[in-house]
Amino acid sequence: MMSTAIFVAVATLLVLFLLLMTKRQEAEEQERDQATAATRCECRDVLQRPELVLRIFSREDREFVFQIGSPRLQRIYQEERRKVALHWVRKTSHEVSRIMRTHRLIARLSRNLDVAAEAKLLWQYLELRFICGLLVILIETLGPHALHDLASCARELSQLISQTLPDAAAASSVASSENPGTP
Amino acid sequence: MSDSAKLVTLSSAYDDLQHRTLSGIPCDLARLIYLASTRDYNSGVYHHEGLSARYGPESTRVALRAAHKDIFYRLMALSLEELVNELGIYVRISREAPTGFIHAWQELEPYRVAVPMEVDSTMVQLFHSNIRLALEVLRFRQEHSQPYPSASSLQPLLGR
Repeated sequence: MMSTAIFVAVATLLVLFLLLMTKRQEAEEQERDQATAATRCECRDVLQRPELVLRIFSREDREFVFQIGSPRLQRIYQEERRKVALHWVRKTSHEVSRIMRTHRLIARLSRNLDVAAEAKLLWQYLELRFICGLLVILIETLGPHALHDLASCARELSQLISQTLPDAAAASSVASSENPGTP
Repeated sequence: MSDSAKLVTLSSAYDDLQHRTLSGIPCDLARLIYLASTRDYNSGVYHHEGLSARYGPESTRVALRAAHKDIFYRLMALSLEELVNELGIYVRISREAPTGFIHAWQELEPYRVAVPMEVDSTMVQLFHSNIRLALEVLRFRQEHSQPYPSASSLQPLLGR
């Protein structure tokens, strides 16, 4: 009962945090829209380059820095990449919001709206905003390589569990030999 | 002048810049700094006397701007390790003492004015961040007396 209450409280806090962040971003975006016409001059094709994302979240760069073996350098690297990654997520979110605002204005004037297509678009937009919010939280709290780190952590934990529970491993191998069709 | 004639002039100006001027500069970072230095700080307009005399000011401006962007994107495609090597070469050809060079670059951040105009802001942030990191790596190597990359390991970069 107690654990359920804690879970609900944490989930509520997380949703509130996401909502607050989205509101703050909306306000910032509107200010930026009014103030900076220069942003519109930026090359849109460059923004979409997947190489840019690969560079920001590059594991090769991280391995290079970690091989040097300086904790100070590692700290600076994490901080630098965190800043760039957050900038990229916020900018992506901002760009999509701007496109959606323009689309909303055009849709208001349209006489033959496709409701299903509009609903699908809205769902995709909300999904993206949610992912961006989640990415911001992950990058802020765990760093730019959060997802990879979490996956590595899960893999290490599962290995640890299988090592500490040899019976379970034996049981699972017996089960798989009994049911060769199951993976 | 017709559009095709303009295009030919522009292409010639770009090739001339690549083959006569930029090929003589040993690394992309030095090329980037050189091209940024041909740009007026106040107007953002590029100038090059020699090229202007041959191809006219407009074609020269466009060629310089295009070359500046090309080299910036090339630098952005480098891994951090490659950028550290690139910066190492630049430190050497500057003929400044590495410690003084690194200190000056960390204090003054002159690389900020080396970025072309109308480039995506995330890319600019990443470039600044990578240069700051590369400077930190060079500083760490300097403090721990790690030698700069050997001449043989720099060959692929020098040949670019």
